[in-house]
Order: sequence, then structure tokens, then C-alpha cells
Amino acid sequence: MKDRILIIIVSVLFVLLGMGLFYNQVIRFGYYSHLSKNNSIRILPIDGPRGNIFDRNGTPVVSNRISFDVAVVYQELRNRQKLITALVETLKLPGRDMVRALDKARARPYAPITILEDIDKNKAIMLEEAGFDLDGLTIETRSKRNYLYGNIASHVFGYLSEISEDELEDLKDYGYRMRDLIGRSGLEKYYETDLKGTDGGTQIEVDSRGRETRILGVKEPSNGKDLYLTLDISLQSVCDRLLGERKGAICVIDPRNGEILVLVSHPAFDPNVFVDPELSDQRVRLLKDRVGRPMSNRAISGLYPPGSIFKVVTASAAMETKKIKAFTRFFCPGSYQLGKTKFDCWKSEGHGSQNVVEGLMNSCDVFFYNAGRSAGVDAMEAYSKLFGLGRSTGIDLPDEVNGIAPGRAWKKSFRNAPWYEGDTVNYSIGQGYLLVTPIQATIMTSVIANNGRLVRPYIVKRVGDTAMIHQEPKYIGLKADTMRAIREGLYQVVNDENGTGKRAKVEGVVVAGKTGTAENPHGRTHAWFAGFAPYDNPRVCLVVFLEHGGKGGLEPAEIARGIFEEARKKGYL
Amino acid sequence: MNRHKDFDKLLIIMAFVIFAIGVAAIYSATKAKNLPVADSFFFRQISWMGIAVTLLALIVSISYQRFVDMAYVLYGANLALLVLVLVLGHARMGAQRWFSVGGFAFQPSEFIKLTLILALSNYVAAKKGRMSELRNLLIPTILLAVPFVLVLLQPDLGTALLLIPVFFAIMVVGGAQLKYLGAMILVGLAGLPFFWHFLRDYQRQRLMVFVNPNIDPLGAGYTIIQSKIAVGSGGLFGKGWLNGTQNQLNFIPERHTDFIFSVIGEEWGFLGAAALLLMYFFIVKRAFNIADLTSDIYGKAIASGVGVMIGLQVVINISMTIGLMPVVGIPLPMISYGGSSLITTVVAIGLLLNVGLRRSTF
Repeated sequence: MKDRILIIIVSVLFVLLGMGLFYNQVIRFGYYSHLSKNNSIRILPIDGPRGNIFDRNGTPVVSNRISFDVAVVYQELRNRQKLITALVETLKLPGRDMVRALDKARARPYAPITILEDIDKNKAIMLEEAGFDLDGLTIETRSKRNYLYGNIASHVFGYLSEISEDELEDLKDYGYRMRDLIGRSGLEKYYETDLKGTDGGTQIEVDSRGRETRILGVKEPSNGKDLYLTLDISLQSVCDRLLGERKGAICVIDPRNGEILVLVSHPAFDPNVFVDPELSDQRVRLLKDRVGRPMSNRAISGLYPPGSIFKVVTASAAMETKKIKAFTRFFCPGSYQLGKTKFDCWKSEGHGSQNVVEGLMNSCDVFFYNAGRSAGVDAMEAYSKLFGLGRSTGIDLPDEVNGIAPGRAWKKSFRNAPWYEGDTVNYSIGQGYLLVTPIQATIMTSVIANNGRLVRPYIVKRVGDTAMIHQEPKYIGLKADTMRAIREGLYQVVNDENGTGKRAKVEGVVVAGKTGTAENPHGRTHAWFAGFAPYDNPRVCLVVFLEHGGKGGLEPAEIARGIFEEARKKGYL
Repeated sequence: MNRHKDFDKLLIIMAFVIFAIGVAAIYSATKAKNLPVADSFFFRQISWMGIAVTLLALIVSISYQRFVDMAYVLYGANLALLVLVLVLGHARMGAQRWFSVGGFAFQPSEFIKLTLILALSNYVAAKKGRMSELRNLLIPTILLAVPFVLVLLQPDLGTALLLIPVFFAIMVVGGAQLKYLGAMILVGLAGLPFFWHFLRDYQRQRLMVFVNPNIDPLGAGYTIIQSKIAVGSGGLFGKGWLNGTQNQLNFIPERHTDFIFSVIGEEWGFLGAAALLLMYFFIVKRAFNIADLTSDIYGKAIASGVGVMIGLQVVINISMTIGLMPVVGIPLPMISYGGSSLITTVVAIGLLLNVGLRRSTF
């Protein structure tokens, strides 16, 4: 019967399979058992280095260097004292430390244990040569992270630290091993899975003296992917220098697409400190500094009242809701009366009659009290959000905060109080509950620069060979009239001889912008300058923010001028 | 009648024992991951079994004749899913095999094994007595070729290749002439160089490495070498549950799925492995017995198809873990972690039970 053919074939296959198992498990048992015993098989890990990071011009900014470690396989030690002597002589380290390190190696048998990390290359070579006499000693090479620009752009790059035991449990599946480094902030954290290399290993069979007899298998390591940034490291360095010792942040973007050219936060830190095992004191100091907060990226995680740079939003809200026109005038006597409360203008003698353009140019508070109140809190909230405030910009960095674009519902749930008209008055000059990050302030300004288009900022252009896909700028629907009046106002701020931001003026390029001086309850005022250039076709948009920096028209405007000048030299303008 | 019902109980028991062995092996293979119970692989596998058993009960309660009527619809729907998965499937480890629905991933290429069996069975039953004619092999060949290509494109070489013997089994049962089938195999072999051209680099590499694993111990040979050491060092009695050093030390990637047998081989030894093989053989043998005892061609074809499907998966999967066959992705039925594979096997056994129960009505 030909139906039987199937069961015959399958049966034969099963019998053959059974024989195969018998052969492997019973006849060849001795061979495989020997191979699987821990003491004859050893795995030597091979690091898969992290990806490098390059700036927009292809300049390497974060890379890896080779480090030399001293490792010991305790069971192979023939002459412990001789090894200790050799290490002490070569490395000029106290013998006590060596003894302690060797005791550590005893705890894990049959595996090389690193007892000293990152020793000098020449000393490593000396030890390697002496290794012929020193059984059990090996010099291992590892790749170590190298931040080529030290403090500069440290908040963008972030830092690495050793994986904790808890994390290791969760991440083992993803190829992490003990002592692996993992991204803790910045790009190192955000792009951790791309940057991380895949470790390989060699499985070797060793004889009873621990000498390699043959290689059983090698799993090759692979490098992590490289990141290609939109950042310009040389412009970043200039901004870093311009900001100097001051606390604050600088953001420079291309308003047309959201590419970040510069992102500075001060005080900064040197990420190399986190790589070097001997600098743990400095690490602790950095992490514990609650006053300077050098680890916090102020550009994306710092929340501040924007002050007058926010007036572009108030102007938009009032004009778009048709509460004012370009020619609408309000009179500024130096203060604004609401019920029993008097709200001052920054200029106590008053600005007189002002329209939108003049209001922006002189940064007249009273004009904007009127404009904001006529628009109303709901329009103010709506337009704040249209300009990208109140939620994170979506930049490709970790720990970005949302900020606050308040409204009636917000106040009800977070302050458990109704919205008062006085709140609207404060709102309209960028004070009160409103809080923004410097990057949000930049995006808000770029909407004006970019003729009403909101971009999503980003810093990584390409991961390995894959170009990142970025959102198209979103048109927020401001009318031509509104745009024209606000742009005109920002032009006057810098270019009129009475403009508050005239210190930002640059020879040969038309700059527009807005200064801001924000009251804050914790001390001296914060100072802002937000601007863009060239006026007709903006290619650079920036925000300079100084924490407790005094007046926006002074230092920030001057720093902005320095940046525009440098951007011009580099061909951005 | 009663005697056969007892037999079927044994079939169910056997399947459950194999499943239990699988859960124990998955537990051991993934212990090092230390996941909370609710996320653990063994727990999820048990949840999948809940779904599978529900389906089994449903299938056994409906006469398999109903599936005759639905065969082409199910097959067509499955093809649509295979096309869809290529378009928007979730890419995992370079392959587009999965759909993710609410956190669950399912793999249409697993189900095609079953729906192809149903469709082919339906065809040969309709052409009863005329399958010896050459022209009646044309449509079944198309029924095979379409999913074969779709599955290959995913790319899931193992599953695609498995469809071929299933096809031949049903053709033999359906009454096709062996000389025609033999000729088809020859034509297929002649077309291999052409087929080779369509393989992905890593698939070719795996096939090459099979011929000689030592060509490339640096890459693709790694898993085979590790798996052979694991199984071989299990010896006659094994190292005991949770004590497989090769497996616990993380030498074998993906060992809870396609390479699960290396855990069983290492921990339960030759005796355990042989016992497992006998249990599988019992199920396969039972499938062919049911086919023998069924007069209805449709039931015969289903039972034989299921027998070949399960039997060959076992043979191919275990063979690859001990280096007797190239590494192609084929799960070990009822044991490898994965909902789609488990459900497919349990449903296949449900169909067997169904045919076994109802064959006397014809």
C-alpha cells in the first residue's frame, strides 16, 4: 500500500534522529562534557565599542580611545609574590593595594579579573613583556569613551556610568555585561541603543595550566552606530566662551528646519570625569552640587519666566482674535490700573501713545497689559500653545520638561483657584505662572522668523547610515498683517536707535530680536535675548538666557551680537 | 469505538505531557532573565495554552466537515494576512513575520501550515479518484507555491520548506501517482541553483555553515557549536533541571524558541530526549493510524498532513540543534516558546481528534 510510504519515511527519520542523539550524548559524551566544563572553557569578552559622534561638518566630537587594564586569573598564578613585586615596581603603587586587588581576583575562579584599569601605555607594554615570566597576568585592552571637547557641549553629549546590578538584571538580554557603561544623560542616553556596540567573545579551550589550546568559537563584536549631528562644534565653542562663567543657556537653531547649531548650558561639566576611575571625587562633587547644578541641562530642563520676549505671543493673540489692529494705540502713562491694583511699566515716566510696532520696540508693558487683557486668558493660552509653549518641543535629548502655559483649567487643578484678571495682566508680559525652557523660547521666536511655521528641533541628522526623518514645519496660521507688524517691531528693537536690543546689531547683516528682563521671586532678574537674522530670510535663530543676568538689553544682546558675528564668519548668514 | 476513544485520550495526555516538558524547559532557559512572573516566558506560554485549549474544544465540537466548506476561505484569509505582514508586519531581528496586536505578536506563517493542509485536503477530496491524472496536480502546486513564496519573502526559510513535504504527503494520500511526484521533486532539485539565488546572505551562510560548521566558527557556526556542546554534554542522564551549565551561562542565543531542545538535551540527557522523541512518535503514529482507519479522503488527508507536519518539525528542529541539519527557523512543536506555533500544533491535534471521532459516520 503506497499510503504506508509516509509512515515509513517518518519512522526512518525518527530512528536516524534517535541514533544521532545517541551518538552525540552517549558515545561522544566524554568529548562534549570536557568542553562544557567551566575549567576548560573560558570566554574572553571582546568589547564592541560605542559609536562615535560627529558634528555637522564631520568633526569628531566624541570617540573612543584604547585603555590598558591589568587582569589576573588567580588559579594560574604560580608566584604570587613575584607578581606583586613586578606590579609595585612598574606601576609605583603601594604593595598593600596590590594584595587587596589580588584577593578580589581569588573570588572568581577561572576568569580574568581586572585589578587595575587604564594604566599608562608604556607601563602596559613593560608588563606585557614581563608576562612571559608572570603566569596568570594578562594585559587587556578596552575601548574607552573620549570626549574630545571636554566641558564644551557636555550637556548635549551627556555622560556614561557603570551599569548597576539592578539594571543589569533587566538589561542582560540586550547584551549588557557587568562593568558595562550606559548612557546617563544627553545623546549618550537618548541614543543608547544605537550607540551601544555588541560585545563579542572568544570561547577558548584551555589546558590544565590555563594555557589556550584552541579556539572553540568566536562571536565577533560589532561597533555601535555613529551619530552625525546638526551641531557646529566650533560655533558651540565660541558660544561657550561668550557665555563664560555666567549661569545660563544659549540655543542657536536653523529656523527653517529646526536643526540645532548650538546648545549651551552653563555651568558645564567634563564628561571624561565619569570615564576615569580615579576621578570619583570630582564625580561626586559634580553630582552633589545643588547650587550650580552643573549636571542639569538648563537649555531644555530649566524653567524660567520668559518676560518680554513672550510679547510676540501676546501681540499675535490680540491681533489674530481681532481685538487689536496694527494701528490700534494704547496710551502708556507709566502704569496700568486694574481695580485697586497698579501694574507698573518698566519705564515709570511712561511711553505715551503706542501701537504694536512701537510697543515691541520699546517693550512697553502697558501696551501689552491692554493687548493681553483684550485678547483674554483663553486666547493667551491657545496662542502660547500654538507657539509651542506648555509642552516639550520633542528635541531628541532626554529629560526635557514641558513648561507651563497656564489657563483657567490649569489654575483650577494646580493652584485650586479661579483665574483672575490680574493673572492675565502678568501673563501678557511673560510673567506670572508662565514658565518656559530656553529651547521653547527659541522655537517660539523661530515661529516669527519662519513666517508662522513651528519646527521641531533636533540634533541628530543621521544614525549610522540611516538619515533621521524629521517632521515638516507646521504652519500655525498667523495672518500676514500680524506677521508683518510683529516682524517690524522686532526689527525696530535692534535697529532703531532707541530700541531695547540695539546692542545686538551686527555690521552687514540685518538682525531682529526681542529683549527680556524677567522678574523672579528668587533674586536678581533673569535676562533674555531672542533674535534672528538675516531679517528678510532668517537662517539663524537664537536665544541667549542668563540666569539672574540683569537686563536683556545688556549682556544677552551683546552675547547675541558675538554669536551673529561668528555665524556670519562661518557662512551661516 | 470505545477503544478508539481511549486512544484519543492518550493522544491528549501525550500532548499535555510534552507541553509540560516545554514549560519546564522554557522556565529553565529564561530563568536568568529574572522577569516578574506575569511577564515571564513560561507564564505567557501557559496563557497561550489557555487560548489554544479553548480553540481545541471548539474545533473538536464542530464536525471537521464544516472545515471542508471553509477550507478555501481560511486559506485565502491566511494568504491575505501573509501579504499584509509583508507590508506592515513588525520587524524583529531583521524579519517581517509578526503582527503585533495589543502586546501580543502573532505569526501568520505558522497558521499557513494548517490552512494549506485544509485547502489541499479539500482539493484532493473533490477530485477523488482522479488525482492520478497529471493535470490535477496543477492547482495543488499553485496552492503550495503562493504561500511558499510569501513565507520565503518574510524571510522564513524553515516554514517555507516545511510546506513542501506536507504537500507531497497529501498528494500521496489523495492518490497522485508517485512517478509524477518523483518527477516534481527532480524538477525542484534542478531548480535549486535558481532558488539559491533568491536566498538572503545569512540564509546562504547558514546552509554553507551546515555543510561545514568549522568554516565559520566566528559567526554562524557559533550557535551550532554551542548547541552541540550543550546537548552532547548532557550525556545519558543529563545534568538535571535548571543545571544545564551551557544554557545557564548564556552561550546559546534565542534558546527558549528554536534552540529549546539544547536545554532539554543538556538537562535531561539521552534518556529524557529519547523519551520525548517516543512521545512525539506516538502522536505522529497515531495521526497515520487515524488516516488509515478513515475512509473519507478529506479526513485521511488532514490526518496525514498533520502527521507529516508535526513529525518533520520535530525531526528538523532537533536535527539542527545537534548539527545534523542546517539551522532554519522551525520551532519544536508544543515546546518552543511562542503562541502562534503552540496554537497551530494544538489546533492540528484538535483536527486529528475530530477526524478520529467522526470517521465512523462515513
